[in-house]
Amino acid sequence: MTEWEYNPPPDIDETMSEHLRNFPRQPHMFMYALRSVAALLLRGWMRIYHRLRIEGRGNLPKTGSFILVCNHTSHLDTLCMLCSVPLKRIHRTFPAAAADYFFSSLPRSAISAILINALPFERKLKGAESLAVCGELLKNEGNVLIIFPEGTRTTSGEMGRFRSGIGRLVVGTDLPVLPCYLDGGLKAWPKGKIIPWPFMLNLRIGVPRQYAHLDKSSESVRKICQDLQESVAELGRKRT
Amino acid sequence: MMTISSALQSEVFLTYAIIIGGILGFAGLMIVILKAMGKNVSSVWNTYRGWLVMIPIVLGTILLGRTAMIVGVALLAIFGFKEYARATGLYDDWWITGLVYFGIILLGIASYVTDPRLDYPGWYGLFMALPTYVVGAILLVPIFRNRAQGQLQRVALAIVGFVYFGWMFSHLGFLANTEYAYGYILYLIFAVEINDIAAFTCGKIFGKHKLRENISPNKTIEGAVGAIVISLGVPWLLWFSFPHFEPWHLVVTGLIVGVGGQLGDLVISYIKRDIGIKDMGVMIKGHGGILDRVDSMIFVAPIFFHVIRWIHGIREVPVS
Repeated sequence: MTEWEYNPPPDIDETMSEHLRNFPRQPHMFMYALRSVAALLLRGWMRIYHRLRIEGRGNLPKTGSFILVCNHTSHLDTLCMLCSVPLKRIHRTFPAAAADYFFSSLPRSAISAILINALPFERKLKGAESLAVCGELLKNEGNVLIIFPEGTRTTSGEMGRFRSGIGRLVVGTDLPVLPCYLDGGLKAWPKGKIIPWPFMLNLRIGVPRQYAHLDKSSESVRKICQDLQESVAELGRKRT
Repeated sequence: MMTISSALQSEVFLTYAIIIGGILGFAGLMIVILKAMGKNVSSVWNTYRGWLVMIPIVLGTILLGRTAMIVGVALLAIFGFKEYARATGLYDDWWITGLVYFGIILLGIASYVTDPRLDYPGWYGLFMALPTYVVGAILLVPIFRNRAQGQLQRVALAIVGFVYFGWMFSHLGFLANTEYAYGYILYLIFAVEINDIAAFTCGKIFGKHKLRENISPNKTIEGAVGAIVISLGVPWLLWFSFPHFEPWHLVVTGLIVGVGGQLGDLVISYIKRDIGIKDMGVMIKGHGGILDRVDSMIFVAPIFFHVIRWIHGIREVPVS
C-alpha cells in the first residue's frame, strides 16, 4: 500500500498573534468569510455615507498582477481602493500598510490582517526586505498590491514626494502600475480625527503604465517615481 | 437543568469549584515556596499559568449553563477538527472541511433542541443518527465534483475527523442534558486531568519499561498502571457527584477514565507521529493545540456516556 502524503502548513507552530503579523499568511476559512462580509459592508457604507464614485474602473486589468498607487490623505484611501477591485479578488488584494502602525498591537493586527488583508511593510528598518516580499507577491498571477508611495498621510493636502520603493519594485518589469487619485479624503477624515465625516469621495483610476523598457539604474527609478507622481497629480487636477 | 442559579445552588458544582480552587491555590503556593528556595520553576510556572487561564474558562462555561456548555463543546470540536484538518492537509479542501464544520454545528443543534417525541431537552435520536447523514454527505462530494483522483484520502480523513473529533467528543456537550449534569461533566473533566497528571508523575518516578515506544516514547507501563490505580480511586472520593451509583459503577467509571484516557492520548500521538508534527497546533505558545489538551477526553466522554446510559439511562429531565 502506498503511503498517504500529508501537507502540514508551514505556520502550524504559530500562535494566532504571530499568524496575524507574519506574511505571507496561509488562507483560513473564517478569515476569508469575515473579510468577504466586511468588504460587502464596506462597499455599502462607502456608497451611502460618502457617496463614493469610482471613475476608470475599466482600466483595471482583468487578469494578472498589478499595482495601484494613490495619493495618501487619510485611511479612507485604502478603503476606497479596496472598493474599486472586483469582490472576487478581494482576498488577493494587499494594501501595503506600515507595520509600525497597523501591526503594533493585537487588535490592530487583527483588523489589518483579517478585514483589510494588509501586507505589513517595515518602512523604517527593513524597507528593502519588505519590498522583496512585495516583489515575490507580484510574481504570482492575479495579486493586487496597493501602495501609497508618499509613505505617510499628508496633513496639508500637498502631495508628498514619491519614495523610491515603487520605482525599485517595477523597474524593468512588465507589471502594470495604475495611478489613482482620491478626492475628498482630507476633508472627510483628516489625520487625528477619530471618525470620518460624511463628505463626498471621488476615486479616479488612471490608465496602466509599464516600465519594462527601463534598465535597472537609480536614474530610471527616479524617472518612474517622477512619472507616477505626475500622473497621479494629473488625475487630481482633472475635475469632473 | 443547568442554569446559573441551579449551578450556584448545586452542592456538586460548588464543591468542585472549592476543590479545584484549593488545588490551584496550593500549587501556586508550592511554586512560590520552591522559587524562594532558589529552584528553577519557569517551566512549571508556564504550565501553571496555562491552567490559570483554562480553569476559569471551563468553570465559567459550566456555571453559565446548558447552552454555554453545548456551544463551548461544539466550538472546541470545530477548532479541534480545524487543527487536525490543517495538520493533515485536508484543510486545503474547503468544501469537505466546511461540510464537517456544518456537521459539528448540527451535532450542537441536536444536543440543544428538545426531542420532539419525548419532550426531553436534547434530541438523542438525531444526535445518534447524524453520523449517517454527515458521513453520507461527505461521501457524495467526489460525485458532485466528478473527480476520483485523491478523493478517497480526503473522504477518509474527513470521516475520521467528523466521527472522532466531532461526534465522539460532542457527547461531552450532550451530557449537559442529563439529570446529574454537574456531577458527570465535572467528574469527567477533573478525573481525566488527574489521570493525565498521574500517568506523567508515575512514569517520572517509577518509569522503566516503554509502553508503546514507536508511538510515544515517553510513556511507560509503570506510568499507565499507576494512572489506572489512581483513577480507580478517584470516583470513591468524588462519590457525591453521582450519589445514585453503586460501588461497582464506581469501579467501571474509574476504569473508563483510567484506561480510556491513556488510549485517547495514544491515538492523538500516533496521528501526530504519522503526520510528522510535534503538536497539533498552538493555542498558547508552548502549550500545544486544542487536541493536545482534550485528547483523553475525546476517547473517554462517549464511552462514559454510553456506559452510564446503559446502566442508568441518561435520565433526561422533562421540559417543565
